[in-house]
Amino acid sequence: MIEVNERIEVPSAPRVVWGVLSDPRAVVECVSGASLGDRQEDGSYDATLVVKFGPTKVTFHARFAMELDAATMAGRVTAKGKDSIGGTRVQARTTFSVVERSDPPGSAVPIASEVEISGRLATLIETGAKLVVKRMVGEFTERLAARCAAAAA
Amino acid sequence: MKVYQRLAANFKAEGVTHMFGIMGDGNMYWMHELDQLGGVKMLEVRHEGAGLGMADGWARATRSVGIATATCGPGVSQLATAFLTAARAESPVVAFCGEHPTNDQDYNQRLDQARFAAGCEAGFVRLNTPDDADDAVRKAFYLARMESRPVMLSAPMDIQQKAFEDDEPYKPSSALIRPRAVRPDPEALRQAADIVAGAKQPVILVGRGARWSGAGEAVLKLAKRTGALIATTLMAKTWLSEDEYHVGISGTYGTRTAMKLFEEADCVIAVGASMNRYTIEHGYLYPKARYVQIDSRPHVVMAGGRSADCYVQADGKAGVEGLDKLLEERSFRNVGYRTPDIRKQLAGQYEDRKEFPIEPGTVDPREVIRVLEETVPTSMSLFTGSGATAGFSNIMFSRQRPLVLPSHFFGCIGQMMPAAMGAVVATGNKPAMLVDGDASVMMHLAEFETMVRYNLPLLIVVMNNEALGSEYYKLDAHKMKAELATIPTPDLGAVARAFGGRGRLARSIEDVRAGAAEWVAKPGPMMIDARISRSVVTLPYRRIHYGGDE
Repeated sequence: MIEVNERIEVPSAPRVVWGVLSDPRAVVECVSGASLGDRQEDGSYDATLVVKFGPTKVTFHARFAMELDAATMAGRVTAKGKDSIGGTRVQARTTFSVVERSDPPGSAVPIASEVEISGRLATLIETGAKLVVKRMVGEFTERLAARCAAAAA
Repeated sequence: MKVYQRLAANFKAEGVTHMFGIMGDGNMYWMHELDQLGGVKMLEVRHEGAGLGMADGWARATRSVGIATATCGPGVSQLATAFLTAARAESPVVAFCGEHPTNDQDYNQRLDQARFAAGCEAGFVRLNTPDDADDAVRKAFYLARMESRPVMLSAPMDIQQKAFEDDEPYKPSSALIRPRAVRPDPEALRQAADIVAGAKQPVILVGRGARWSGAGEAVLKLAKRTGALIATTLMAKTWLSEDEYHVGISGTYGTRTAMKLFEEADCVIAVGASMNRYTIEHGYLYPKARYVQIDSRPHVVMAGGRSADCYVQADGKAGVEGLDKLLEERSFRNVGYRTPDIRKQLAGQYEDRKEFPIEPGTVDPREVIRVLEETVPTSMSLFTGSGATAGFSNIMFSRQRPLVLPSHFFGCIGQMMPAAMGAVVATGNKPAMLVDGDASVMMHLAEFETMVRYNLPLLIVVMNNEALGSEYYKLDAHKMKAELATIPTPDLGAVARAFGGRGRLARSIEDVRAGAAEWVAKPGPMMIDARISRSVVTLPYRRIHYGGDE
């Protein structure tokens, strides 16, 4: 189980940040190596995610769903998928919210995520996976900030 | 004649010239008889397990049966790790072991040796009655050779003392075995040729099975025809590295250059390789490839639970030659990977330029490997031990040598020193080098005395970070107390000299070079205690534990 607990700081107004985070297309574009597929009848989406564990490239096909509460600006994302070789499964549960930040002005996005990788890759990469996930969160933060800045401009 | 005398004569008739072990009253009579018969050299060791490890090394170097011996009970139980290692290595070994007397079930040294052997994945043959003497020896050798595994021949001490009544000459196991290369099924070979002819970017992956079958020339020829890269398993490392498109090891010990090229491979031709989880990383290493597998076994399931797209049961050489011939008939030629651009990419593929701060009084372990590779001529064999430092030696040594034997089997430390000693004896005492970690060498340190006693020309370079390296880096990666995995050692150069050999403590790269050069000029039993920096993390660990894309 990989646990992520981060507080992302974005120098944009909460409504702008919420605008990005509540749009599945926009969220996926903030994840490096991810692409969005078809929307399903139940509101969930197909997605593809290419991740590098060390120099080994792994392609995951996942189904992800978002539950959004616009009033409190909070959301929940669940994703479940497996890799194209078929030996590894991944499950992720993420909760996030957007809150006002006064000094400096902008938003803070607390993110809590639990990622479970099971199957063959889990033994191959051991602790490395945790660091890869951490790196991905860092990249997400950068892209989110850039996108919000572009949206506000 | 007594049974033990017949047993000894039978071993000699099997072609035994050397054996390794410790004398106890369970094997004492048998050893005495072998000495009387002459022609068999007995190497007395300091731990029975090391003796079996040497027999294992002998078998790996020569592909002929290695011989070990131990007395009953506590002599046999010392063989556990060595048996498991030899079993995983698929080494043909016969261990002659005394067993407690059948008429004394309360014997102090009693042990259920059949169950012990089974637990250690070794074959087991018991000498039940005096009449069995010939059958028992023949069967032990037959099983060791046919199944390529270690076998315990267990001889109760009272049975050994009984009279043997037969003057028929002994028929050795060779009378039963007619080795014959497995020829490929023509239809399977045609399918394989179809797959290869449809491939644009093939990789030929050779394991030790290909080497044993003498498939080298055939592989080089096929690689040129198909435009293939040549990669090896860990066990066949450096083999065929004279080819310009050789990319080193396929798997976790591979270079980033190789892995990026493998991503584009559309066909893998595996020859004499088990295709385990390390070699193909469960299939992640070759995401686009179809597999042709040539192996002498009836079938092999690859890591990741899949079967090759085309499996050809064949001797390596016969399979590759057959495939090449079919492709020649189709006038098939492909440039594939064999372009000047790729050749340029491969230059410097083994270099590891990542910077690390080196603690004073220690050396960068990568520098140690580079200096050893340069200083020790390629006419001398190389053995690499397990543990964290294997992440340096297994990747960075790239030149071909008469023998290049890495460890890996059963994932244990400590076993490569006995294996190296046995291999050196097997090759007629030709000088060789072992590069191993400190915890590994400390485990069977007493055998350095054995090395001195028999004047074995083996240089042991201890990659000494005064730690259990694997655990040190794992604890560190988990942000736990890594110091728990550190253990200081004495000056192992001084220890070597105290044992009557040569030795040096090396705290600088000049020390390492001077020590290695001194040994090359006058090979003999020698240890270099090379104090390496802990801050330099091996490439595989940077990937696995620290998530690095390198």
